[in-house]
Amino acid sequence: MTTYILRRLLLSIPVIIGILFATFALARLIPSDPCRAMLGEKATDEVCDQFLKRHGLDQPIPVQFAVYMGEIFKGDFGNSFRFSMPVTEILSQRLPITIELSLAALSISLLVGIPLGIISAVRHNSWVDVLTMLWANIGVSMPVFWLGLMLAYFFSLTLKGTPFQLPPSGRLSPGLIPDPFFEVWNMSLTEGTAIYLTAEFISRMNILNSILSGDWKVFKDAAQHMILPAVALSTIPMALIARMSRSSMLEVLGQDYIRTARAKGLKQRTVVIRHALRNALLPIVTVVGLSLGGLLGGAVLTETVFNLAGVGRILYEAITARDYGIVQAFTVVIAVFFVALNLIVDISYAYLDPRIRLN
Amino acid sequence: MGQNTAKLNAETSLDSVSLWGITRKRLLRRKSAVMGMIILGMLILVALTAHWLAPYDPTKSMLDVPDYPGKIEKRLPPCVHAFGCPESEPQHLMGLDGNIRDEFSRLLYGARISLVIGFATVSFSILIGTVLGALAGYFGGWVDNTIMRVMDVVLAFPSLLLAIAIVTVLGPGLINALLAIGIVSIPAYARVVRGSVLSVREMDYVSATRSLGGNTYEILFRRILPNALTPLIVQGTLGIASAILETAALSFLGLGAQHPTPEWGSMLGQERNQVFTAPHLVFYPGLAIMLTVLAFNLLGDGLRDALDPRLAHVS
Amino acid sequence: MKRNLFSLMSLLVLASMILAACGGGPTATQVATDEPAAPPTEAPTTAPATEAPVAYEGMKVEAPSCDYGGGMKSIEAVDEFTVKITLCAPDPAVPAKVAFSSLGIQPSEYLESTGGTGDLLEKPIGTGPYKLESWERGNQIVFTRNDAYWGEPAKSPTLVFRWGSESAQRLLELQSGTVDAIDNVGPDDFATVQGDSSLNLMPRPALNVMYIGMTNTFAPFDNELVRQAFAQAIDRQRIVDNFYPTGSEVASHFTPCSIPNGCAGEAWYDFNVDAAKALLEQAGYGASNPFPTVKLSYRNVVRGYLPDPVIVAQDIQAQLKENLGVTVEINEMESGAFLDAANSGQLDGMHLLGWGADFPDVVNFLDAHFSAAAFDQFGTSFDDITDNLTQGGQLAAEADREPFYEAANNAIKTHVPMIPVAHGGSAIAYKASVEGAHASPLSTEIFAVMGVPGQDTFVWMQNAEPISLYCADETDGESLRACEQVTEPLLAYEIGGTATETSGLAESYTASDDLTVWTFTLRQGVTFHDGSTLDANDVVLSYVVQWDASHPLHKGNTGAFEYWTYLFGSFLNAPQ
Repeated sequence: MTTYILRRLLLSIPVIIGILFATFALARLIPSDPCRAMLGEKATDEVCDQFLKRHGLDQPIPVQFAVYMGEIFKGDFGNSFRFSMPVTEILSQRLPITIELSLAALSISLLVGIPLGIISAVRHNSWVDVLTMLWANIGVSMPVFWLGLMLAYFFSLTLKGTPFQLPPSGRLSPGLIPDPFFEVWNMSLTEGTAIYLTAEFISRMNILNSILSGDWKVFKDAAQHMILPAVALSTIPMALIARMSRSSMLEVLGQDYIRTARAKGLKQRTVVIRHALRNALLPIVTVVGLSLGGLLGGAVLTETVFNLAGVGRILYEAITARDYGIVQAFTVVIAVFFVALNLIVDISYAYLDPRIRLN
Repeated sequence: MGQNTAKLNAETSLDSVSLWGITRKRLLRRKSAVMGMIILGMLILVALTAHWLAPYDPTKSMLDVPDYPGKIEKRLPPCVHAFGCPESEPQHLMGLDGNIRDEFSRLLYGARISLVIGFATVSFSILIGTVLGALAGYFGGWVDNTIMRVMDVVLAFPSLLLAIAIVTVLGPGLINALLAIGIVSIPAYARVVRGSVLSVREMDYVSATRSLGGNTYEILFRRILPNALTPLIVQGTLGIASAILETAALSFLGLGAQHPTPEWGSMLGQERNQVFTAPHLVFYPGLAIMLTVLAFNLLGDGLRDALDPRLAHVS
Repeated sequence: MKRNLFSLMSLLVLASMILAACGGGPTATQVATDEPAAPPTEAPTTAPATEAPVAYEGMKVEAPSCDYGGGMKSIEAVDEFTVKITLCAPDPAVPAKVAFSSLGIQPSEYLESTGGTGDLLEKPIGTGPYKLESWERGNQIVFTRNDAYWGEPAKSPTLVFRWGSESAQRLLELQSGTVDAIDNVGPDDFATVQGDSSLNLMPRPALNVMYIGMTNTFAPFDNELVRQAFAQAIDRQRIVDNFYPTGSEVASHFTPCSIPNGCAGEAWYDFNVDAAKALLEQAGYGASNPFPTVKLSYRNVVRGYLPDPVIVAQDIQAQLKENLGVTVEINEMESGAFLDAANSGQLDGMHLLGWGADFPDVVNFLDAHFSAAAFDQFGTSFDDITDNLTQGGQLAAEADREPFYEAANNAIKTHVPMIPVAHGGSAIAYKASVEGAHASPLSTEIFAVMGVPGQDTFVWMQNAEPISLYCADETDGESLRACEQVTEPLLAYEIGGTATETSGLAESYTASDDLTVWTFTLRQGVTFHDGSTLDANDVVLSYVVQWDASHPLHKGNTGAFEYWTYLFGSFLNAPQ
């Protein structure tokens, strides 16, 4: 087991270095200068010369890369041009929003996708099977920006005045400022410490924060704002999860021990839930890892349509605005996160299924 | 005798003894795959006959149509004579877009673009992915390691974001979007091919060819790669679906098809702010994208089930 | 399995949090400030005792000579409540300039304690009817009423700024009642808002211009006949009628007519395809020498002068094809790259751009584009244009300036550096129940006069989030509108108009006969939001940190202070 882990870790290192290099190269290859992108139409040449000098952009490329690598290892991602704030601060402000949205979307797709897949498998080839698979497929075939617009229109305009009305954008109703949970609990944390930063990070996820601080009003408000974007975004992994549950369940149902259980006279339901489910859900773990990439891509579009200030949207804005600091830092964090995630998924899969690590 | 034997006889009758015969029969039995094929058939028909079916030039505004009898206003709702629109108004099945062009004609021509882009992108990725995967699988060692690590680096980025970054580097345009999405999709095919190559590399018929003096490339192309064909077909069909969706997303963001090209994603993107005043301009292109992508997804799913030997016993 | 899934999920969340938090907190990587920023005190502390018994130490900053190239000679706090500004050259536009939002006054002690940046960008302290309560990045800005305001107190106790990039989104929020007013109603939504009795559409007068620029250093636009041909081959009325919202008009001149001397001289060419074709033939193009394909570059950014860039670009493309048989290739560029290339005259072919008024004077339009000191946007400049502009800019009386602007406009028509197309109207939509609703032609809406009866909070939704709240170092309207509610300049524009009134911090002002020395008398007893009193040194320092590039507090957000250079020319002690 340890050799497997070590081997996977070692293999990840060149990947991470490759990611860093690719990100830097891409960011620098993007044509045109960030000065006018930021300072706008009224910037003169002198102002831009100053700007480049200030941000070290007049140095030759290899020097810039060396500086960049050095800063990465120190954990310093530099400042964003547009916001004049350290990129890590922007990251810690925006990442909770995207994580909350992605987790909500993922939960919905798991809660809906897995039962769909199982029902399809159990009633294989019946009209239930066909319809549910069709439904899941339609979900993944819809452009998420289109679905988002249609949902926003229906729930905020068509249903206006009904108890089912939902807000079309934003995270909270105007003027509602939630208190961070650690202040409600009267925890005295010193600013700048890792614990404080972690707590602040958690507190930015409104739903989690309101649960922790027991604020029912904020919880309700935050949840109402979260429903539409989460539902729109959930269509992306849902089909994959439904499909995977279905085929995995089908495979398990064909196994001998299931036939034995049936032969023993157990009810279909018991067979499915107690014997088949556990093993059928194992591949879901891999699917969750695979679908996070699609979630983040979809997050860019969903965040734009629903006006959420998350990582996906600011990354897209930064790319088009040539905000190198944000582009590099966010891409690196996201990519490293995926590598780490895949590592965890592979290791836990190997842990759960001995055949893999012995391979 | 009995049911099973009869079925066995049917399946092994002379005219369906080939792999394709069996696949086709299995495919046709799945209703969803059939539906996908029907939709695809209609799409191809529309793409081929767009210039006959379309009542107007997709890039020409009604302002430039000489002696145009109707009302000239951007984003007019659909006028269908069969549903009560007066005969004096010219018929526009899906209304007019922001530049006062016939939306229906643009939608028809858009089918061409989506299908061509889908096939082209996937062909590009399959070509390069196959070469890379075959090299990695066959030669192993550091070749395998290097190629697969590069694939891992590409896979580490969320595909849409990487495609956006590549298009930003290359400049906006449909061809550049094709390249971007193609590059991002290569790893999937490389992995598929590598897996197939690994699984048959050590088999007897390969060593037989080798001992008979066959060179590397002969072995690769005539013995090993045909094994990868079926998973590639499945992956490719599903890949077309996601390529069309990603092209639409890039065009929606303004990075793909350039004006006045009637590509569905850019049509949607151009009119997205008008979703409440001119919903027909947002609804129809989105519906078209959905149906096209759905067709390929259903077909791909059906192909996967039909070609998967493990599901053979489940009828 | 479900348990494992749950632990996996928690592992994922934990991993991501650690990765994000371990990047180094803000305190570890604070690079921008040199001095630590001291947060302003919440409870207003009493200001230091008035200087009445002690002689007032007024600040004075003076340029050694006017050779440094800028417009400002000196600024001086003559006494506690008098500020004197001396210029290098006569300037009739000083009241309009001084009322601009970038010259809002902040306390000198605060400017010093923040080091000219840091908290200054996020927590402005001014004298305005609203003070900043909190800025939740990405989400909203909350202002609360300043009950110690020297003038009429704000109507609503709380003001909230929100933003949304899509006009459909903003309209939806207004219709569903979650916001009280939205900016930049989409052109297609005008009819919807007007038809809704619960909403009120307020058009903004069009103090802007959209034009098609042609760079005369690239063929075929180096030939004046070609430019004149194009000027008559595009039906501008068709563009305005079909693709601009109501309230827009075809541009007869570059400058909108509501600005004095803006429309001096002949009106632009009529739409005349035959004349255009004849000119092209005269230029040597015909069957044997077909006209080449040309590019039309633009950026897909919505502005009052160009609400639907994609559609307008396509229509121009279609028109040139129809009318002249010329093929146009549309080139959508990223905003920064586009502006960069446009300003340096590197755009081959035509480009679509516009200009919104900063202050209501003709020099803000014509000089900024066609004077000798302007960008090389259109290629080489023309003497008959630049000479007339220089002369017109030095006189005070509008009647005296008129002949020069008449000559300049006629020269522009002859040389056709660009084709003026439209003055684009835009609009704000309010809930019908909002009192005090108005739309400012300079986009400086004052929310202190607005309120909904029975409602404590007024919610305003604009296009984008402010970049920072330090007016001096920002140029985009979204940032300026926010900081304007908090800080006030010496003079102010009338609400909803362009005339300058003395409703600012200066009670009155006088100018010398040659219009080089301007003396402002401050209101007495005005307090800032932190309790300190307004005096002349606050005004002087607020100006000097922008003017003097060598000043330790000349930091801001990017350090560009662009509006200073527009209003008063170069910085003092600018680095070489």
